[in-house]
Amino acid sequence: MTLRTKFVLALAATLVLAALPWFAPPTLVQFGIATLLLATLAQGWNIIGGFTGYASFGNSVFFGLGSYGTAIAMVQWQLPFGVGLAFGVLLSVLFALVMGIPVLRLRGHYFAIATLALSQVMTAIVSNLEIAGRNIGLVLPLLNGDALFYELSLAVLVLATLTIFWISRSRFGFGLIAIRENEDAAASMGIDTTRYKVLAFALAGIFSALAGGIHAYWITFIDPVSAFDLSLNVKMIIMTVFGGPGSVLGPVIGAFVLSAISETLSTEVSSVASLFFGMVIVAAVIFMPRGLADLIRRFRKTGWRYFSENVRSHRL
Amino acid sequence: MSGNLLEVQGLFAGYGEVPVLRDVHIAVGRGEIVALVGSNGAGKTTLLRALSRVLSGTGKLTFEGRDLSCLTPEQVFKLGIVQVPEGRQLFDQMTVLENLMMGAFARRDRKAIQETLASVYELFPKLYERRTQRAGSLSGGEQQMCAIGRALMAMPRLLMVDEMSLGLAPVIVDQLLEVLSTIRKQGVTVLLVEQDVFAALEVADRGYVMETGTVTQSGTAQALSEDPEVKRAYLGI
Repeated sequence: MTLRTKFVLALAATLVLAALPWFAPPTLVQFGIATLLLATLAQGWNIIGGFTGYASFGNSVFFGLGSYGTAIAMVQWQLPFGVGLAFGVLLSVLFALVMGIPVLRLRGHYFAIATLALSQVMTAIVSNLEIAGRNIGLVLPLLNGDALFYELSLAVLVLATLTIFWISRSRFGFGLIAIRENEDAAASMGIDTTRYKVLAFALAGIFSALAGGIHAYWITFIDPVSAFDLSLNVKMIIMTVFGGPGSVLGPVIGAFVLSAISETLSTEVSSVASLFFGMVIVAAVIFMPRGLADLIRRFRKTGWRYFSENVRSHRL
Repeated sequence: MSGNLLEVQGLFAGYGEVPVLRDVHIAVGRGEIVALVGSNGAGKTTLLRALSRVLSGTGKLTFEGRDLSCLTPEQVFKLGIVQVPEGRQLFDQMTVLENLMMGAFARRDRKAIQETLASVYELFPKLYERRTQRAGSLSGGEQQMCAIGRALMAMPRLLMVDEMSLGLAPVIVDQLLEVLSTIRKQGVTVLLVEQDVFAALEVADRGYVMETGTVTQSGTAQALSEDPEVKRAYLGI
């Protein structure tokens, strides 16, 4: 497939998705909002985890800061939603810059652990802030308009995906990939690795915060535990890895497919849904460890051997 | 000042509380191949790290008369001080061509980059044959060629090669040393850091011997390789 046909297909898919609220039932639109926001979060993780190779557990902090920034601006200062969203993004970017500079010096497991700790700390801090409603949380003004939230979520996802498309073909992106592949070598080739990593972290922060802000206004209630929920970060990782880390569309497809599987399972076999979901993840990791994007790329050449080769090469 | 490309005077550097380099003086002239030899732990790699500003230190470092001590590693790289790091440090998952192009990351002149690429392929025809292969799948010698080629893609004025012979067959080392002589003829100055003392002194014009963090001997390559002290220390005769 040439880039042109890919682009046309993606555009057609986006238009179909954009038209969805006009003919789909409300429950599907609500499912759509949740899925689009998850896909946006997965794309955010893709920048720092997929391209740069830094397994971040701090992306749920960006989501939480986006939620709280929007909520504080709207509830405490009576500002419009747009300003709130911008405030959430600002908080998130500041966090990425201030925490990124020390934390991004750590590599591998140490980086994961440090970001994990940060997200726990944030819950504790926010629970004690008067302006954030302490551990009770904040109630946002009600806005009935799922279609609007849906279109907004779609727009943010498109923006995130276009940004990643740009990254994948830019010098900046090559720099990030070089850092993922061999950070010492990247540094010896004159790449300012710290600057690149912090920028990637901040970029991930922007999209995660946008998703957080939209989610907060849509759900109309936020509290510290759910806003900084670590399992959301785990979802971002699973969806990105399932779809194909470091690819442009992989995380989006991963988020769509996994959300659909998870939703179907919970309606069909509600009590054991998470058991089956877990099995899907395990099977995916064994049979296609490099994600859907790699599967699609290589399946045509290798056929069903693709799966057996993956199993063999990872000695499972 | 003399016409030296690189001058190091009274350099002290170390890691945290641990001093490694003590009062190091070296100079590298334009178009020279200078060997920096010494055994394990003599401080050779530390000196390279200090030169590329990954490690800070006190002392006078000048490159073409410019003070290096206040520059960042990226700025030093842009001046043309490029390292071939120890252990090659290739991007294993990338192809040979992609690795070479990473060397030109800081450059923006597309046409000139293609010309440099052609000259690197001319220098290492093997790399051209293997340009679409993953760098991780190359043999050790080819990997070292790729690492040198990548550094050349940055159009270095001073190429600092760290432990080039590490883990390579003597035949390959000789080939690579020959390439360094060719590169020098093309106007690139080479600072060759080696444990394999006599291989390095074979192609070098001058050499410095380092021991426990300081330069203990210096002279022309020939004088050093005939020096009884050096012979006793490194050959055991």
